[in-house]
Amino acid sequence: MNLTQILVFAAMVALLYPKGPNGKPSRGLACTWDRIRIRVVQGRGWVILVASTLALYWLQSSSPIRSLDFWLPTASLALTTLVWVVIYTPDRAAWRTAVPTIAVIIGVVALIASTRYFDPLCCITATRPPDIFTVTVGILIVAVISAGAAILFRGRARRLNWIVLGLIVLFVVLKLDIATQAFSAILRGLNGQDTAQAAVSDVRWLGFSYIAFRLIAALRDRVTARPAAPGKPVPTGLSLREFISYVIFFPALTAGPIDRADRWIKDYRNFVQTHQPAPATTPRPFGMDDVVAGAGRILLGVFKKFVIADMLAIIALNSINAAQVTAPGVHGSASFWGLGDGGLNQAIWTWVLVYAYAWRILFDFSGYTDIAIGLGRMFGIKLPENFDRPYFKPNLTLFWNSWHMSLSQWFRAYYFNPITRALRSAKETPFLPEQGFFRQSTFIILFGQVTTMLLIGLWHGITWNFIAWSVWHAVGLFAHNRWTDYQRRRNASDDPESTEQNELPLRRRLATTLSVLATFHFVALGWIWFALPSVSLSIQVFGRLVGIGG
Amino acid sequence: MTTEIRSALAQYIAKEILQQPKRVIAPTTPLISSGLIDSFHLVDLGLYVEDTFGVHLDDTELNRDTFDTIEQLTALIVERQGG
Repeated sequence: MNLTQILVFAAMVALLYPKGPNGKPSRGLACTWDRIRIRVVQGRGWVILVASTLALYWLQSSSPIRSLDFWLPTASLALTTLVWVVIYTPDRAAWRTAVPTIAVIIGVVALIASTRYFDPLCCITATRPPDIFTVTVGILIVAVISAGAAILFRGRARRLNWIVLGLIVLFVVLKLDIATQAFSAILRGLNGQDTAQAAVSDVRWLGFSYIAFRLIAALRDRVTARPAAPGKPVPTGLSLREFISYVIFFPALTAGPIDRADRWIKDYRNFVQTHQPAPATTPRPFGMDDVVAGAGRILLGVFKKFVIADMLAIIALNSINAAQVTAPGVHGSASFWGLGDGGLNQAIWTWVLVYAYAWRILFDFSGYTDIAIGLGRMFGIKLPENFDRPYFKPNLTLFWNSWHMSLSQWFRAYYFNPITRALRSAKETPFLPEQGFFRQSTFIILFGQVTTMLLIGLWHGITWNFIAWSVWHAVGLFAHNRWTDYQRRRNASDDPESTEQNELPLRRRLATTLSVLATFHFVALGWIWFALPSVSLSIQVFGRLVGIGG
Repeated sequence: MTTEIRSALAQYIAKEILQQPKRVIAPTTPLISSGLIDSFHLVDLGLYVEDTFGVHLDDTELNRDTFDTIEQLTALIVERQGG
């Protein structure tokens, strides 16, 4: 989202609140305006759906492949609809309630496509959308596939794993350069464009990651769902309108946070005032204070992202800045950085780049999350927090509990927990002892941590530098885990309460400060793998930090 | 009933997870958000709760939003047992 887009989204909120800040209805012209707004409040759910659908197309960047900026958002909508159909296998009544949603979605898509013919208004998409005939064929294909899937998956929850697998394959296609390029070539071929020009940058599917995370969660929840206990009501599923709004909710579309459907839907139903009477957990109706709080959060986010992070970006680690520190002579003078010549100069500036990158990535991402949370709050949804002062944690485990929390939560819920549970419940492996350093649980911990971190790393891109970053953190987490275990075993016979009390407060504070600094540096150095495109360049930068290499 | 569950959980956590049998864990001590229990031992705790109290905990429920203290976990167990 850029500043204009954020402003437009925030301004849309004016539509949703029927009364002025003093709570009194106005007169005259303003009265007519108020009436319109009251109507809109009654349709808040539709506002969220239509706004999110429009945002899906508006935020999608252009591509040299013709009409791809129209088809990728359409594919997001199609995938979401398809997953809803296979999860809820709707009966006749559910289909009936879904009809208005389908009509509205098709209407919005048709409207977006038709801007092709209204030149001054063209277009909400980055380039001209395809003609209406092609769009109609596209919609018909989606309808046929959805209907087929509804029949194929009825009552067969385990088959949904195939769709999860399909989404993972799509992830690989979009994250592995060689596969993305091949995909681009196929799309170009279908479009009658030059396949030799296929490039990785052709396919930038906006929001795919976060849409897929939500879809996989919904599918896996369905597969692992347990039958309701006897006498307990079966929880009602989400309507099509609710499900699509949840998956493509525009504040959280591009970079999360990833909310859980069951939590999100409580806020949503409260806000759109469906399902009367309101659930017992409803704290209070949404009002102007939410708008004010949301706006404040957006301003904070804008400041963090567009002021602090963008300023830090100038001196943050990237291949260009790294090259400038390496070769001072290139820019005409050996003292380009103003600190004289030599290895010390280079080391100092390399440290500056690393520190600046660490803070830039935090301010950039947490600022973006602030904007998302602020916008969400204006639209009645309290999205989960994603950051909790991650650079002030005394160990790496706590860092990962406070950095991009909704993502690590997701990986725990859908990968780490099931795999660890399965390994722990499995029969004892004969070749590993029960006790000692090489005991079975140690290997399960190592396996769980390494594979989870690898998945998180590979999600950023299937390249060696992200693998190196994953391994860096996995090794750090494992080392911390073993260290804690060792400490606990060593002190097992002591009474921990008395030991802690006996420690001098000053010494404890000093120990905490040192731990925080050590953890921060471990993470900051880890970003070197993350920020630079190649492992060899990262190793070079590591060398320079300690004055080795050129 | 609640007291028994609480003391069983506190004992299990002190002995099996923290390896400090003498340690007394208050019902309101944050377990997950404080880092006292890591993600691996959280799965073990989940398995222990399932085996001992006969209630099911989903993989998606093993997090601090569902429970962060012995008190909250006990409430969850009692609620599920009652159902």
